[in-house]
This record gives sequence, C-alpha cells and structure tokens, in this order.
Amino acid sequence: MNDKIDEAKTAVLLTRENPNQAPDPYRVEELLGLAEAAGYRVLAEIVQRRGRDHRFQLGRGRIQEAMTYSPSKLIFYNALSPSQVYNIRSEFSTLPIDRFNLILEIFASRASTREAKLQIELAKLTYDAPYVRNVLSQRKKSEQPGFGGSGAYDESMYNDIKSRIAKIKDALKEVESIGEDRRQRRRELGFDLVALAGYTNAGKSTLLNALTSAGVEVRDQPFTTLSPTTRALDIRSRRILLTDTVGFIDDLPHFLIKAFRSTLSEISEADLVLLVADVSDSPETLRRKLVASHKALWDCGSRAPIITVLNKADRLTVSESLERLAMVSDLAPNPVLLSASTRLGFVDLMQLIYQKLQPLKEVQIKLPYTPEGMSELSRLYDSAEMLDVSYQEQMVIRLRGKEEVVTKALSSSAREL
Amino acid sequence: MVCAAVSARISPEYIEEIYQVRLKPCVAETLDLNIVVNLVSATSQCIHGTVIAEKGDMYNLDVWKVNSILGRDFKYPESLGERNAIELAHHISFAGRNLIIHQEDDKVGVDTNNE
Repeated sequence: MNDKIDEAKTAVLLTRENPNQAPDPYRVEELLGLAEAAGYRVLAEIVQRRGRDHRFQLGRGRIQEAMTYSPSKLIFYNALSPSQVYNIRSEFSTLPIDRFNLILEIFASRASTREAKLQIELAKLTYDAPYVRNVLSQRKKSEQPGFGGSGAYDESMYNDIKSRIAKIKDALKEVESIGEDRRQRRRELGFDLVALAGYTNAGKSTLLNALTSAGVEVRDQPFTTLSPTTRALDIRSRRILLTDTVGFIDDLPHFLIKAFRSTLSEISEADLVLLVADVSDSPETLRRKLVASHKALWDCGSRAPIITVLNKADRLTVSESLERLAMVSDLAPNPVLLSASTRLGFVDLMQLIYQKLQPLKEVQIKLPYTPEGMSELSRLYDSAEMLDVSYQEQMVIRLRGKEEVVTKALSSSAREL
Repeated sequence: MVCAAVSARISPEYIEEIYQVRLKPCVAETLDLNIVVNLVSATSQCIHGTVIAEKGDMYNLDVWKVNSILGRDFKYPESLGERNAIELAHHISFAGRNLIIHQEDDKVGVDTNNE
C-alpha cells in the first residue's frame, strides 16, 4: 500500500473493544491503513474485548504477547492517558502511541506549508497542555515551595505551551483572514467556489485531477493531501474554482478540527460542496464514512448545498451501485455515481454543479466616459457575462453575473454617476 | 428542565417542513435515564416517526437499548438535516426554559411591588 514503509519502523496494533458494544473489525482495518501510511511495517494485530485497564489500557498479557514480536512501537486504537504511556514505557521498554498521535505523525511527515506545520503544532500542544497541567498539579500535591521545599513551582513549561498556543492562534487567524480576503476577491472576480470534501482516501485528489488536469499528488493511502489545492474549471458560462482539502476521519477530537479551521474554512465558506465517498466500500463502511463526513461538515459549520459524489463506481456493476445508493439515500444529498479514473458520470456531475450553483443575476447599469468608468467596464468584461453594451450619452451595460459582482457593479455605477 | 419535540420532514441536508412542535417542562431532583426517557416519551407522544436525540441525552447507550426502553423507533443523528432538527429543538427548549424562569422572576417582581 505504501511504498515508503521503513523496515526499521515496526509496530504491533492493539485495539480494545468495549464488551458492551458490538465488535467492530473496521477499526483494526483503519488503524492498519493509518500505520502503513505513517510508514510502519505492521507485525501483528491484537484485539481484546474487555473493560479499560487503568494501567495499560489492555491487559498485561496482551501487551506481553505484542512484545514477543519485538516492535519499535505499540500503536493503540484507544486513547492513552499519560500515566498509561508512562506505565507501558517503564514496564515494557517500548514506546506506545495512540491513534490520535499516529494521525499527527502522518500529518507532520507530510506538512509542507507553514500553515499546515502551525496547525499540527497547535493540535499537538492543545493535546499536551492538559496533561502537563495535570503533572504539575500532581507535583504540587506532594511538594512545598520555598523554604524547606524545592523552591517555586516550575510552571514555566505550561506557561510556555500556553504562550506558544496563543502565538500560533494569532498566526493562524492571520492566515484565515488572508484566506477570507482571497475568497472575497475571487467571488468579486466572478468565480464560484466549490470545495471537495469527504472521508480520507475517497478519491478527492483524483477527482480534482480528472476535472481540471491539476496534476496533484494521488496515492491509495489516507491523508495524502493536507494543504488545500485550488484549480480553475469552466462549466458552460460559470467560472469555478475547485479546491481539494484534507480528508475527514472517524472520531477526530474536536480540537484537531479547531486546529485545522483555516484549512476547513475552504469547505465552510464554499458556495457548493462536493462530498466524495467511495461507493466500492461495503455498505456498512460507506454509511459509516458518510456519517463521519456529515459530522465533520457540521463541526466546521458548512451550510452550502452538497452534491454527493459516489466515486469508484467502475468497481461495481450498475445494479450494485444503485443498490448501495439506495442504502445511503438518507445521507447522500444530490447523489451522482461517478468514476474519476474512467470519467464515468462526469456529464451528470457537471450538470448538477451548474444547477446547484446560485443563479446569476441580470442587471442594467450606466457608467460615464471617465477613466474610472472605462476601468470598471474592463473589470466587468473579466468578471461577468456582458449581454449588451451600448454607447449612448453614457455607457449602458446589461450584464449577468454573481451576486458579489453585480453588487459591486451597482455600487460603482452609483458612485461614478 | 424543558423537553422540546420537533416533528419535521427532513432531507439529508435541511429541514424541509415542520409539522408540529411540543414542549414539556419537568422538575426532578435527579436526572437518571428513566426520567429522561419518560420525558422524551411523553413529549413525543402522538408524533409519528423515528425519535432522534443526541447521544449524550441518552447517556451514550446503544441504539437498540434505547429502542427497547423507549418502545419505539429511535436513532442518533447522522445527517446534517437531522443535526439541524436537533439544533432547532435545542433552541426551542432553551427558549421555553428561559420563558418559564423569567415568568417566575416576573411573579417575584410583582409580589415585591405589591408589598
């Protein structure tokens, strides 16, 4: 699956299943995909159904069993507390990480932009901060500061984390406001903003490449795309900017979504969202991924209309695809069966995108023969569809365009006159 | 506490039509599952369809367990439309609770003035 698997990076996957809930083989499968994406060679998968062990998360015997494979790391599906990490490290002399840290590790290895690096650092610090505070409060219970004690409490580490979090948040706010300005400018230039969203490894980048010949990196592994990529696309008279974004995953902690807010704002601020899902997944998995995607869309505050692109339809027969579609109809608004690799269903998708975009407005404005009026006319030629331009006492222009373009044209017409 | 039930037709994205809204206040010393289930059951009485509530409201119990306790179709929210409907019910119940609390405040105010 991953051509960059490092032979020295070996891991055993451990999953604890709640005895009160039904077994979930998908968890192990997903954890395996993530571990391989992070470059680990997986030696074994161990699953145990039991209540949470407060020392090791799983039973001691299971961890001993995992250690017989001599892995460099133990990867747990379930979240580990700092004391569990400490216990496992000291008793078994190996480094345990949980699923959240594994995802961060993948992100960190692929982050190329400053924005992505800041987002990952923010997520990591937000995750660490309460643990550091907890350790400090534990220390305070047993020690006395000042005379006879060990001196003043060493809270500098926690304060450093807090100030670094504040600095990163400020930097990301700046990035977000630059992004917002860019989106506004693009709208005023007459572009419709369409975002590709969906579960990780659903084929979003492949679809972007197929629609726009973008040439972005595509791999059959989760989280290949981290930073948004935008490419232009023309559908009839509409000029569209299509943005590929980071994929969603199940059970993401809310602070990770918050940390990636500036990237996810490409989805929440879009005019239309293409929700990509892999229709070749089993019906249960497809449903689960769609639910996770809906939750992520809800968390990032998306209110734009959605088109559900059921990708990889070439792997199924038509009847199978339709059957899957019927099974998830309550989670798939405006569905289209499509294959990004064979270009099946592209015509339907283009048509649906055109239908779902906000209709263009038609107005008539007047501009004077002044340098400002002429430059406004030039701008309108670039950003709107010019239906008629007649040169009378003033220039009388009938145009059709996006709401932002029309509003700006009306305001400049009123100002010029 | 106040329980709000919104009867609506929903699409995967939006609430398409709201048929009925019901509010039921309740005072209880503890907030155990039985009280919550009884309140939900009483509020959604005479409303047809599947009951949808947040996971936390039902103490994260499995759907089949809530189904059998409630005695009718039940599910946790999955689509954006369902989440929108729950958000609407939250707003309504919160507003209802505020109205009841302020009504009590007003009564106290009137009494004080009379004195």
